[in-house]
Amino acid sequence: MISERNEIPLEKIDDFRWRIPRDYKSGMHVPGIVYADEKLLKDIRRDKALEQVANVAFLPGIVEASLAMPDIHWGFGFPIGGVAATDIENNGVISPGGVGYDINCGVRMLRTSLQLADIKEKIKDLVYALFSDIPSGVGSKGDIRVSQKEERQILVEGARWAVENGYGIQDDLDCTEEGGAIAGADPQAVSDRAYERGKAQSGTLGSGNHFLEVQVIDQLYSRDTCDQLGLEEGQVTVMIHSGSRGLGYQVCEDYAKGMIHCLQKYGIDMPDRQLACAPVNSPEGKAYLGAMRCAANYAWANRQCLMHLTRKVFERILGASWEDLGMFLIYDVAHNIAKIEKYTVAGKEKNLCVHRKGATRAFPPGHPSLPGKYRNIGQPVIIPGDMGRNSYLLVGTEKAVETYYSSCHGAGRLKSRTQATRTINADALLKELESKGIIIKASGRGTIVEEAPSAYKDVNEVVDVVAKAGLCKRVCRMKPLGVIKG
Amino acid sequence: MAEKLYSLIEHTADMGIRIKGRDIREVFRKSAQATFSIIAHQERVRQPGKVSFNIELKSANLEELLVDWLNELLFLSSAKEAIFSDFKLLKITERTLQAVVCGSSAANYRMKTEIKAATYHGLSLKKIPRGWQAEVIFDL
Repeated sequence: MISERNEIPLEKIDDFRWRIPRDYKSGMHVPGIVYADEKLLKDIRRDKALEQVANVAFLPGIVEASLAMPDIHWGFGFPIGGVAATDIENNGVISPGGVGYDINCGVRMLRTSLQLADIKEKIKDLVYALFSDIPSGVGSKGDIRVSQKEERQILVEGARWAVENGYGIQDDLDCTEEGGAIAGADPQAVSDRAYERGKAQSGTLGSGNHFLEVQVIDQLYSRDTCDQLGLEEGQVTVMIHSGSRGLGYQVCEDYAKGMIHCLQKYGIDMPDRQLACAPVNSPEGKAYLGAMRCAANYAWANRQCLMHLTRKVFERILGASWEDLGMFLIYDVAHNIAKIEKYTVAGKEKNLCVHRKGATRAFPPGHPSLPGKYRNIGQPVIIPGDMGRNSYLLVGTEKAVETYYSSCHGAGRLKSRTQATRTINADALLKELESKGIIIKASGRGTIVEEAPSAYKDVNEVVDVVAKAGLCKRVCRMKPLGVIKG
Repeated sequence: MAEKLYSLIEHTADMGIRIKGRDIREVFRKSAQATFSIIAHQERVRQPGKVSFNIELKSANLEELLVDWLNELLFLSSAKEAIFSDFKLLKITERTLQAVVCGSSAANYRMKTEIKAATYHGLSLKKIPRGWQAEVIFDL
């Protein structure tokens, strides 16, 4: 249970890194390494997340360590906030549970040329219009309806499909991880059920912790980087958090179920069925990778459509074109995905399958995958917080090679939804947020309570750890002005 | 007083349910009811338009059959935009299930929470002194 303290042995490496020794459980191939300070560790010990870090270390072919970011919490199979890299040439596996049901759940951030004073009187209109024009909530359906043929196209072309259909510009793709379309997507590997579940949901936000937020920059940490990104204090920004909706859930379910049988077929012993996996190079592994990439592309198309709808709302409410409002994309990054990336392990260059489940890719300056304009500053890393505190923009660093260039993905939950529902009053919370200048619109009151700031860790503390551990550098901090929730 | 349909298992990010029943059939039926009571408010807001589907499943074992049953319902609910309220388990064996499920359009309900999937994490289905008990954790 959540309240029981978890006494897994942890060896202190330094102030921000803790090791779960490999001999903690027979079957661990590598140790676990948790990025946290002593304060966050107390919260982390309250649920089963550390046990899950140890379980991930059972994955065949895992190299160096099963990693956990400071926003880690109990998931299913993998912890949320987990990173694991497997060596493909050494029978390394891929696990659908290491990506999660919401494949390419991720976040994008737009800047604007607006200052807080420009929209202060209109923020309520903006939030209400965003809520009305952007489909959100359980099972939400979008106005952007596509045929089955187009859906297959989206699975291969991702955000590029959206841009070619008038929902954005080339610069948006340049500022999206993988250009908004990861190669190797195989629509044949996606079941008819997944197509059916995804067909009505393009351009929808979804529910739960997904959100669209209008924010204002309240603190700069690196003036040089901010200058290069066109950011300054008091500037209005927008953040969109969503994923692959029903299509992704079904892809994960299809393969999580199928791979349970791979455990026996490939002689793999895992402590949790939700960690079912298959060698990356096996037929099952390749099929999952092809299907997962389809769902990832669907998610990038979805966030591109959501951004298009956001730009249209700003145009309508503020009476200027989105270009004149300076609504350009800073970056879009996935935080539930598996990627094939090259790293040097024990002096040898290896192709690794890097699972990031609730973790953000954070490439350093100079990385060849970055667009030219970010080559000298590093990849923008977007860290949403809760709806009452802050969010962050960070950039990747070379030191993060120790985490396969990965960082945290958010604040991380602290309280369960049921705990939050028991202890938080929706009216009082809305009043409190309004007194801080934050307008909330949500499909249901339940979501507001479940997503209350006190249900989350303090993102400031989480980001402090990744910054001090050297995994990222802080660029600027935002605070929310208006939030729409599903 | 009506017997409680299910109890909640605390989980930081997601939600779990514990269901007790006199027999397997009741556990499967109550698990389905519990799932839809998490997804939607039970009172309908408009006139019902009935939908019904036949379900036939085959799984490796009884525990996985329970997860497959709930995921089948989640798939149908999402793809057909329906909320189910009536679950007739026609036949259950150790590895197979036949059922008819009835409900109405999701537009008739106020929605509460999206369930992405029933997971295998922490899954259990076991005999207890007066029947059977299941534990399932959902990804929300």
